[in-house]
Amino acid sequence: MASQWKILLIAVLIAAIGILSIYSSTYQKETKLWQHQFIWFILGVFSFFILSNFDYRRLWDGTYFLYLFALALLAVVFITGAVRMGAQRWLRIAWFNFQPSELAKLILVIFLARYFSRKSEYDVSLLSGKFGIFRGLILPFIFIAIPMFLIIEQPDLGSGAMVFFIFIAMFYLSGVRLRYVFIFSLVIALSLPVFWQFLRGYQKERLLVFLNPNIDPLGAGYTLVQSKIAIGSGGFWGKGWLAGTQSQLRFLPESHTDFIFATFAEEWGFLGGGVLLLLYYFLIREGLLIGQRTNDNFGRLLSWGISLGLTIQISVNIAMTMGLMPIVGLPLPLMSYGGSSMLVTFASLGILVNIDKRRAVF
Amino acid sequence: MTRLRIAGFTVIFVFLFLFLNLFRLELMGGRKFRELSDKNCIRLLPQEGSRGKILDRRGDVIVGNELSYDVMLMPKDAQQIDQALAAVAGILGRDFKDLKNTFKNNFIASSAAVTVAKDIDVKKAITLEELKSNIDGIVIQPRPRRRYPHARLAAHVLGYLNEIDRWRLTKLADYGYKTKDIVGFGGIEEKYDYYLRQEEGGLSLEVDSRGRFVRALGFRPPKNGRDIQLTLDLKIQKIAQDCLAERKGAVVIMEPYSGQIIAMASAPDFNPAAFVKKANSSLRSLFSSQEAPLINRAVAAAYPAGSVFKLVVAAAALETKKINLNTSFFCSGSMHLGREEFACWDVHNQQNLLGAIARSCNVLFYRTGLLLGGQAIYEYALKFGFSKNTSFDLPYEINGFIPYPLWKKIYRFKHWLDGDTVNMSIGQGEVLVTPLQICRMMAVFANRGMLVTPYIVQAIDGRDISKYKQRISPLSIKPETIDYIRIGLKNVVSDPAGTASALAALPVAVSGKTGTAQAPPGQPHAWFAGYFPSKNPKFVICVLLEHGGSGYYAAAVAKQIIEAMAQEGLI
Repeated sequence: MASQWKILLIAVLIAAIGILSIYSSTYQKETKLWQHQFIWFILGVFSFFILSNFDYRRLWDGTYFLYLFALALLAVVFITGAVRMGAQRWLRIAWFNFQPSELAKLILVIFLARYFSRKSEYDVSLLSGKFGIFRGLILPFIFIAIPMFLIIEQPDLGSGAMVFFIFIAMFYLSGVRLRYVFIFSLVIALSLPVFWQFLRGYQKERLLVFLNPNIDPLGAGYTLVQSKIAIGSGGFWGKGWLAGTQSQLRFLPESHTDFIFATFAEEWGFLGGGVLLLLYYFLIREGLLIGQRTNDNFGRLLSWGISLGLTIQISVNIAMTMGLMPIVGLPLPLMSYGGSSMLVTFASLGILVNIDKRRAVF
Repeated sequence: MTRLRIAGFTVIFVFLFLFLNLFRLELMGGRKFRELSDKNCIRLLPQEGSRGKILDRRGDVIVGNELSYDVMLMPKDAQQIDQALAAVAGILGRDFKDLKNTFKNNFIASSAAVTVAKDIDVKKAITLEELKSNIDGIVIQPRPRRRYPHARLAAHVLGYLNEIDRWRLTKLADYGYKTKDIVGFGGIEEKYDYYLRQEEGGLSLEVDSRGRFVRALGFRPPKNGRDIQLTLDLKIQKIAQDCLAERKGAVVIMEPYSGQIIAMASAPDFNPAAFVKKANSSLRSLFSSQEAPLINRAVAAAYPAGSVFKLVVAAAALETKKINLNTSFFCSGSMHLGREEFACWDVHNQQNLLGAIARSCNVLFYRTGLLLGGQAIYEYALKFGFSKNTSFDLPYEINGFIPYPLWKKIYRFKHWLDGDTVNMSIGQGEVLVTPLQICRMMAVFANRGMLVTPYIVQAIDGRDISKYKQRISPLSIKPETIDYIRIGLKNVVSDPAGTASALAALPVAVSGKTGTAQAPPGQPHAWFAGYFPSKNPKFVICVLLEHGGSGYYAAAVAKQIIEAMAQEGLI
């Protein structure tokens, strides 16, 4: 089967599982949510087809424009965005709320792929291996740091951290000198205590609770504890669809958004959870293989960036629901309720497919 | 390419890590988390059935139940509890801290509702019920509570209810009794606790994260206890209790042919409702009082029998033909035996048996007793049911005691002397009897020779059990003997010189015997035992006044009772 259909099939399967879980955790209070999600899913599939037929090379040309566009969106959010659940993350556009940080993640991947795949004008060789410390590390980091700062200040620590991780991953894969990677890791490690000072109270609390959930079992630790109970109580077969007590009876907060994996694992058990993990793995594997197959440096870095970005987001989210990571607000791609994430994820999958289609051109 | 390899392996490693953790959480920790999840959403709400009612012979309720309201809270997080407690405290007008302490003390598990206030009144219960929509987790639990419409009436027969004590718990644990159970103490409530006892049922509920009801998972209906119908007649019981009034003592009224107890009063009495209200000061005085108000004097206290015991001696002497109706002795007011002088209460001159019964002459019975000997009197006393409990329905019935020569030898290391026989012949010395035993003895003369077993429970749960309860055994005593003594008993009342002649004025003919049992250092105990109407007796009555003076006073109480009964047309 061609990669294109494999990717689409897996993505549709996961999105369908997501809609089922959203229905299960919300049908008692609000019936509209799963319908919304379904509309976003349809739109997502559209964007998948549009981008899979849209020459990704044109993204190369538009990179700086896209970058500025992302910055502008983030700035607008910063100034006028809608405040929901204590965070200013959403932009009201027409009848829906859009979360620019989701789009910014994809644009920054494109930007980094473009930045690290510049070629020498003389011998058409890749420049990144020859970059000095300024062009290889400091300059791209500054480019990334500006939007990252805007995202973290929303505050959206999860997405901010994700951008940061994507940077590390692509930086590493871009072929810059290994010593820069080490220097960078060292600087980051040393500056962690400084970052601590910039965190908000609840963010610090979450990190502390992660280290010891029993500090505050009914406050910040509540979600973590309930999420673990939800997943653990699923057992092998799960409690069955619509029968998960933790999510149905609202013990589990955010059961249809960030903690949708817990909702799903409670109702479908180890069996369902394992299958879902496998689906995600196949999706990402497909992305990495596309990167490996293509001859275009931009396309290669772009597909790796997209795949690793998905990996990071999926693993951070699932690890967080199982109490293996601090709780940060990060949706589970294709599953969590939320249009922006759905749309952007399908779009990035579309780009992946397009990269695979164009590889014969070179 | 190596960097990509490393990245690829990292991805595989990350997914493997997630997969293994999923395995650990769901399969290895599955059971533990399942329990936690159940604990989250399952709440138990106990519902109590009502304890069986106790009815009188007409079916009137002596002890029933009424609804009282308890306030319970579903445990949730501390803040919500405080909020709910504050609201409850505001409405009940109680101290917030007290309620919080009660909550802490009564907390059992996060899955069980906690009682914070008991027996609140209906208006407040309604107010709280209205509050429920604003504040989650408040449960108003209706609970049946013992109701005593007649307050002190028949208190000793009924007994009272209280929290189970350690002794009863060890004894009853095998029958499903638990700590903090409310069980009967004394009386029917204790003896028939097993039948009266209700079974707790309850609801298991599923609640959401705010403790609000979602649906019922299971329901076990509570079982009500079984009703018990007594042979007691409330009207007569009330008369008996009113006539006994402030005096210490006991009244037993029995149906002579079956042994049904019609009334059983003991004074001083108590109000069992005090145990429901948990009024501590009045409870403390009940337990510490010198008067022992909780003791049922009709069955759980033994007294010297005094002259009523002479009937046993008379029957024995007639049966064994030691004397006959023509045998007479001279009463000079006392009798000399060796160096000792045994007194009579009056000078009766020449006296035969019937006269001696009527005027309660001691000397004749001294002489008769000496003719019989201690052992024979003892044997006849046993025949009449003394020295052994009557196997009556109420707990803590005691045996009483009748001395005999061998006993004195074994336990007192002394020979049985004629003096002992003399004392015994008039029911003094070591003779100890309960009012119920005397009543039963009198019934033998009323029903012409049958020893009945007194009982008070007629039906359980509507099923008549009197055929199991009625045990009537003929005493092998010649009818003439009974008839002679009945004449004597009639004379006690009808003879102007009889000791109970005061009863002659009653509209119904009464036969009976008085007794004045010496009980130094206090006043003597006053006895009257009799039956009425004389010809075809319907009731046997026994009145005891503890340190109440001479038998005359007991006869006076009996007169009052019979008079009132006659007035109300109960005879």
